[in-house]
Amino acid sequence: MIRNYFKIALRNLWKDRTFTALNVIGLTAAFGVAFLLSMYALFELSFDQFHKNVDSIYQVYTTEQIPKGVELSEANPIPFAGALRDEVPGVHKITRYVTGGPLITYKDKTLRVGSAWADPEFFEIFSFPVLEGNTNNPIERSTVALTEDTAKLIFGNENPIGKLISIKRDGEVVPVTVAAILKNLPEASSLRFGAIFNFMDLPNSFYKDKKDRWDAHNHPVYMQLAAGTSIESFEKATRPFSTLHFADEIATAKRDGAKPNAEGQFRQIHLLPFGNVSFTNFDTAELIVNKSLQYVILGIALLILFIASVNFINMSIAKGAQRLREIGMRKTLGAGKAQLFFQFWGESVLVFVISVALGALLSFSMLDMFQTLFRTNASFGLIVSPVLIFGAVVSLLLITFIAGGYPAVLMSKLGTLKALKGKLEVSGRNRVRNVLIVVQFGIAILLISGTLVLRGQLDYMRNKDLGFNKEQVIAFPLSSKKDHAQLMQLMRDELSGHPNIISMSASDNILGLGRDGSSSTSVMGFDYKGREVSTNLLFVDYDYPETLDITLVKGRSFDRRYASDSLSIVINESMAREFGEKDPLSIRFTLDDSIQYAVIGVVKDFNFQTMDKSIEPISFFMNSDKPLYQAYVKVAPGNLTQSYDIVKTAWNKIEPDAEFLGSFLDENIDRTLQKERMMTTMISSASILAILLSCIGLFAISLLVVSQRQKEIGIRKVVGASVSTITILLTKDFLKLVGIAFLITTPVAWYTTSQWLQNYVYRMDLTIWVFLAAGAIALVIAVLTISFRTIQAALKNPVESLKTE
Amino acid sequence: MLLELHNIFKWVTQGGKRIFLLSDINLQVEEGEFISIMGPSGSGKSTLLNVIGMLDGFQEGEYNFLGESVHAMKEKNRSKLYKEYIGFVFQAYHLIDELTVYENIETPLLYKNIKSSERKALVADMLDRFNIVGKKDLFPSQLSGGQQQLVGVARALIAKPKLILADEPTGNLNSKQSEEIMQLFKELNQEGVTIIQATHSETNAAYGSRVLHLLDGRRDHK
Repeated sequence: MIRNYFKIALRNLWKDRTFTALNVIGLTAAFGVAFLLSMYALFELSFDQFHKNVDSIYQVYTTEQIPKGVELSEANPIPFAGALRDEVPGVHKITRYVTGGPLITYKDKTLRVGSAWADPEFFEIFSFPVLEGNTNNPIERSTVALTEDTAKLIFGNENPIGKLISIKRDGEVVPVTVAAILKNLPEASSLRFGAIFNFMDLPNSFYKDKKDRWDAHNHPVYMQLAAGTSIESFEKATRPFSTLHFADEIATAKRDGAKPNAEGQFRQIHLLPFGNVSFTNFDTAELIVNKSLQYVILGIALLILFIASVNFINMSIAKGAQRLREIGMRKTLGAGKAQLFFQFWGESVLVFVISVALGALLSFSMLDMFQTLFRTNASFGLIVSPVLIFGAVVSLLLITFIAGGYPAVLMSKLGTLKALKGKLEVSGRNRVRNVLIVVQFGIAILLISGTLVLRGQLDYMRNKDLGFNKEQVIAFPLSSKKDHAQLMQLMRDELSGHPNIISMSASDNILGLGRDGSSSTSVMGFDYKGREVSTNLLFVDYDYPETLDITLVKGRSFDRRYASDSLSIVINESMAREFGEKDPLSIRFTLDDSIQYAVIGVVKDFNFQTMDKSIEPISFFMNSDKPLYQAYVKVAPGNLTQSYDIVKTAWNKIEPDAEFLGSFLDENIDRTLQKERMMTTMISSASILAILLSCIGLFAISLLVVSQRQKEIGIRKVVGASVSTITILLTKDFLKLVGIAFLITTPVAWYTTSQWLQNYVYRMDLTIWVFLAAGAIALVIAVLTISFRTIQAALKNPVESLKTE
Repeated sequence: MLLELHNIFKWVTQGGKRIFLLSDINLQVEEGEFISIMGPSGSGKSTLLNVIGMLDGFQEGEYNFLGESVHAMKEKNRSKLYKEYIGFVFQAYHLIDELTVYENIETPLLYKNIKSSERKALVADMLDRFNIVGKKDLFPSQLSGGQQQLVGVARALIAKPKLILADEPTGNLNSKQSEEIMQLFKELNQEGVTIIQATHSETNAAYGSRVLHLLDGRRDHK
């Protein structure tokens, strides 16, 4: 019996090769893409879930009431963690954690290793297994634990345990013993390091000098909550702790007019479940755990599967009309409903099994491309688990059951005689088909609108005038063992006088995101005329505004002729507003108790941060003691590649040991838009696929409708209808559906895209034209798809179409 | 008594008026009979056969098949009954295009859940008997009309029905093929199978033991 069904199914599929191929292609593409997208989303959602204690691990963060509202902070002072454990009940284990990139030297090999410093309890809280060496405490004082890969990088095939390496700390070379080898960190870990040291081995400027200071916040703290303690009760229990240790801050906040929060607190310690850390943004006033991107991606995967399934359903139903005689015959031969159902369902299952298998192959073969395109390490092996496999199998069965079962039910329910005579009541069925087509095109239009808006916003952000010259400026990190000031001087000497090089400067921070991937912010608050003002800090070299073409609106920039400029600052317009003085050049203020600074110039506001933030106050300081990490070179317009090579050659001459990691600022800005770009790529590809699949469906339906109405077309032609009227007649019905889909979808698309744009302070204008364009694209593609067949049918000689009866 | 129809009425309503397809049909069929139903187009021959074959219902009257009341039966039991006892032969053959001769003949057995080995034996017998062993792997489109109808009859017989209903079985065939088929029916009848056929042809009707005339849905007793 089953073999018989199988055989018939294969023959039927082969007989309708066109439809089978359309179905298999559509479903294969849909499954392939859905597999990749859901793998990506699930991988991202699985971040940090591998820790055995993940449900009881928390990151400690603080909300502070400031005059402007609320501020979040994940940075804590050095004595904080120890005091919290001793003074507040409920702390089971706690660790401080900080990352950096020290230079590690072994024999004649020196390399920069992404490293972390933590307290020994780190290894009891988190699940990073020790493979070899000191399993008890891999990070005793003056020892280091390396991951397998890092160990291999430093030692090659030597056994690293017990070997001495040296790192540079506080200007001295310090020996450190390798105490343990850690298993390589899982890809889905948000804590990333190649080497981990004891927290107390941090440089003095970071640790020892601040050991007892409660006002220097410089590292995050993770803790494990004791069993039986709730987050709420713990957070409540920390209030006296905050009041005691942060009395000064609270007093300042009160003085400046900050309002206490709903519980009457000026400072509240909170716990963030560690599983949410990788989805959390601390830059906002309110803690937002945002997993929407991942869910949007999962949703897109589902939508694509839905579209392909709709195609399948519509084609099966329409095709069923051609098999009515077979159905009737089988019924007279004694087939029951169930038997017919299983026969038709079996055919669907066959198509789905083939498509799922091909889809899986497709996704495996596209994995590399996918990983490069979306810069992810996600792969199937990383997320595989019994639960997941079970879930996948169940959902595949469910899809097959619904998409294959619905047409099968319809067909097995037909009356015997009606089926034998080949009659089919079409009205009800067409309604289902039409609804499905509307939904399909609705989804396509939604995704196209999304693509257009995303692209629009991306273009807007790329092309926006940021207030500085991003096309002509090359930025590169001064990553070298040499003294930065000396290095700058050497570069200046090397490049000066070159006609392509216009000017040169440096600062301690980068604009955008450099090739070394580093970025940082530093913010400072100080008292000015009895209230606290806060500003972003930037230490710059001479010619900073000139090199970057930042417009000076008042006063002057730093000048080599004035020796006192190390006590001068240049501020932006926002900072001038923050001071609130009529003449910003008259501002004098005191820092560190005694040193008086004077504002000598005001520059126009420029976007030194990403575009989801409004321009904050910033102050330029010029202090020759501060190391400057980033150099900027402004080059002449035209022949930018040549200028780049000139700078590169100069660097290689001066610092042959370190790679030149320069890039133009517009490339750096592009790098900050990586998330947007990824979303755009993902949604554009999804919408292209969605519209393609919808068209495959529409094409198949048009084939069937035309063949069903062949006689009608013939008669109409005989009585005098022209080719165009027949084409319009056949096309009209479908266009109506696309039109309805457009009307339904546009408000939804408008709402979602405008909500998304709210994330950006600087955003494109959302006009109706975007949606009209999306609708028009869908409409044009639909017309092209349908008319391919309808025109052909209309052109046909009526004698032929009438003969078929 | 194989089956019995009492005062069967069947109608459709069109524009508020009843149009009778069958009216007041009474018929008793004994096992082993060979009945021909005759009448012009639209006289209700096919409708009557469909009613007897339980493919179609009726509005009034009683229908007993082997002592069971068909009119009071549920759809499921009805289909069980005809699956067991009735075989159909159609004018247009109605073979399944995607199946070979062998598979077409085998299909009714599949729906009766007969074991594979037994199925093989039964189909082989049937192929043998109809002299179509050499054609068992061909598809219907590769056969002539007469051969297709032969397969149709073989398929109707495979489940060993008590009754064969044939609706214009020779309507699409030439006279030689017709004669072969009718000869076959006669042999089957002699073996004890009850046959009811609808036909236009006096010659074919003459093969039957009894002729039933229909006109506008009524028995025509002239």
